[in-house]
Amino acid sequence: MTPEGAIPTVRRSFFMAGLLDKRLWIVSGKGGVGKSTIAAALALRSARAGRRTLVCEVNTQERISGLLERPPAGPDVKRLEENLWAVDVRPQEAMREYGIMVLRFETLYKTVFENRLVRYFLRFVPSLQELVLLGKIMFHLQEKLPDGRWRYDTVVLDAPATGHAISFLSVPQVLLQTLPPGPMTREALKMRDLLVDPAVTAAVLVALPEEMPVNEAVELHAALKDKVRIRTHAAVLNQSFPERFTDGDLEALAGHPELQRVAQAHHDRAALAVLAGTKLERNLHAPVYAVPRLFVPRFGRDAVEQVMGHLEPLVTGET
Amino acid sequence: MSTTALGPALASKRVLICVGSGGVGKTTVAATLALRAAVEGRSSLVCTIDPAKRLANSLGLKALGNAEAEVPASVLEPMGVSPKASLHAMMLDMKATWDDLITRVAPPEQRERILANRFYQSLSTALAGSQEYIAMEKVWELRRRDDYELIVLDTPPTAHAMDFLDAPNRVLDFLDNEAAKWLLTPALKAGKVGLSLFNLGGSYVTRALAKFTGAEMLQELSNFMLAMSSMNEGFRERARGVRALLEDARTGFVLVTSPSPERLDEAIQFHALMKQNRMDVLALVVNRVHPLPAPSLWDEAATLAPGRRTKVEETLRELRVLAEQDLRGIAQLKDACPGTPIIQVPRFGLDVHDLTALWNTGRYLLGDDVLA
Repeated sequence: MTPEGAIPTVRRSFFMAGLLDKRLWIVSGKGGVGKSTIAAALALRSARAGRRTLVCEVNTQERISGLLERPPAGPDVKRLEENLWAVDVRPQEAMREYGIMVLRFETLYKTVFENRLVRYFLRFVPSLQELVLLGKIMFHLQEKLPDGRWRYDTVVLDAPATGHAISFLSVPQVLLQTLPPGPMTREALKMRDLLVDPAVTAAVLVALPEEMPVNEAVELHAALKDKVRIRTHAAVLNQSFPERFTDGDLEALAGHPELQRVAQAHHDRAALAVLAGTKLERNLHAPVYAVPRLFVPRFGRDAVEQVMGHLEPLVTGET
Repeated sequence: MSTTALGPALASKRVLICVGSGGVGKTTVAATLALRAAVEGRSSLVCTIDPAKRLANSLGLKALGNAEAEVPASVLEPMGVSPKASLHAMMLDMKATWDDLITRVAPPEQRERILANRFYQSLSTALAGSQEYIAMEKVWELRRRDDYELIVLDTPPTAHAMDFLDAPNRVLDFLDNEAAKWLLTPALKAGKVGLSLFNLGGSYVTRALAKFTGAEMLQELSNFMLAMSSMNEGFRERARGVRALLEDARTGFVLVTSPSPERLDEAIQFHALMKQNRMDVLALVVNRVHPLPAPSLWDEAATLAPGRRTKVEETLRELRVLAEQDLRGIAQLKDACPGTPIIQVPRFGLDVHDLTALWNTGRYLLGDDVLA
């Protein structure tokens, strides 16, 4: 058996459509679990499948363009390579685009939005910032080419970490519950309908084989389901260690305590991965795909392509 | 005896603040520091944000709540340690702490109005920096009460380093903003409650803004501003206190990071910002470092039976890749943060949430053990 074969990859008890059947792929999880890597790998795979793909980061130090060894995209959509575009959605620019859309004219926008008093107010309007950020992403999801096809077949959202992701994605819902009908609620309604449509949207939750990241994925799953009504499509267990040492191996190493410790540590990490996979599967009721920890001196495009290989069944739905 | 910069800090500082990106082990470091300080004789409190349930359990507490709870000394017995002072722990509930603050500073007749206002909800939960602010405000409050010789704060996962450092300024800015004063003054003069933004004369700007947010939203915002103005003084005084605490000579910062490249970049950026803001960065803790396997292990592995030898050598090779990656990262960190001591904590076999693991972490933080 190859080492990869020993990793708990796809459980066949779940039959799932592949991500390629969906248009909006939302990637989230605890900070530091490798969300951006997974988002980059998924976006690359979508582009390879011939889908025009836009990968969005949200107001962060851009990482995806760097992982793919391309220059940073910045706040305007930029083509990275064939079929692949990227954007870092930032509040100020998104607000401006939204403002111009609502007010129709740039000069109007300037008069209103560059007014100091107005800027001050906008900072405190509840959830307005999230609304325009999410709004920009949803706008690109619905954008069409002159010939009527979608401008982007797939939109991959490298969403903020757990807590922020929940408040970010529940903004339309919250606005609809609290605001009197008006321009903001009209936007919110459109967004909500797309987010909750399982034919359009799929959430991919990323965790590491450790206690806290797994717990956060479980919490995130519950919050997405109950508060936002987004279904978890699958989980990715990143940086998993495949099983390598049998109990017999460990016993045989008794005469070499140092080496036994090395082997035991590896064995423990592999056991943690199995445990984490089981816990995720049980709580998320969704398939869990393991991506092994890669031992490369520098984590760049080659590594992203390797990760992409491990995500193949998640993307295509074929096991 | 401690040989790292954290030893003297544990003995003399009144507040230690653990900062860094999410997922690097800030909570573990914070809990460990408070534990060591208590063991060495200073009564300590660790104020955590979102700890693993097992951390609470390992401290002998069923759960951590918004109130301080004493950690029973018995939990340290298995390690043969008896603390010379008390250790307390709590988990900060952000929303409840904001509500407490309002209850404390708002005039009684305004309280309910403020707590129920949508803008207050936004201020207390969504405004960038508000979580960071309330955590600091809580520490300021605890420090003023003077029940503990040392308070260790574990900070919320911050998307942007500046949110934390800038939080008191933002709150002061919110209270002092000229735009707000200009807006409020006519209403205050007229003694009117229910100020309407449309008092501005239904100006073009106001109408355009209403088109954007809806008119009711603006009305509600102006109500909120008015209610807030009733407690400006109390609020402002506290925000100034919080800002002073950040710069106090007896407050120290511990910047925690993991050795992965993206976390290190963030740590370097955070470090630069803190220096700019005249904050005292006591140490950079690099957590979960992979130690380089000793060369002798390779020789030893060569004596194993072929199948096992392959597996062991493969594992050693992987560990070497990880260790070399970490070494490069740490070298880079040293160059970028001259003058700030770097303390390395190795990655332990399993998750670090039980007390033994906290204890072992402490040995590295204080230099009893050193990563070769």
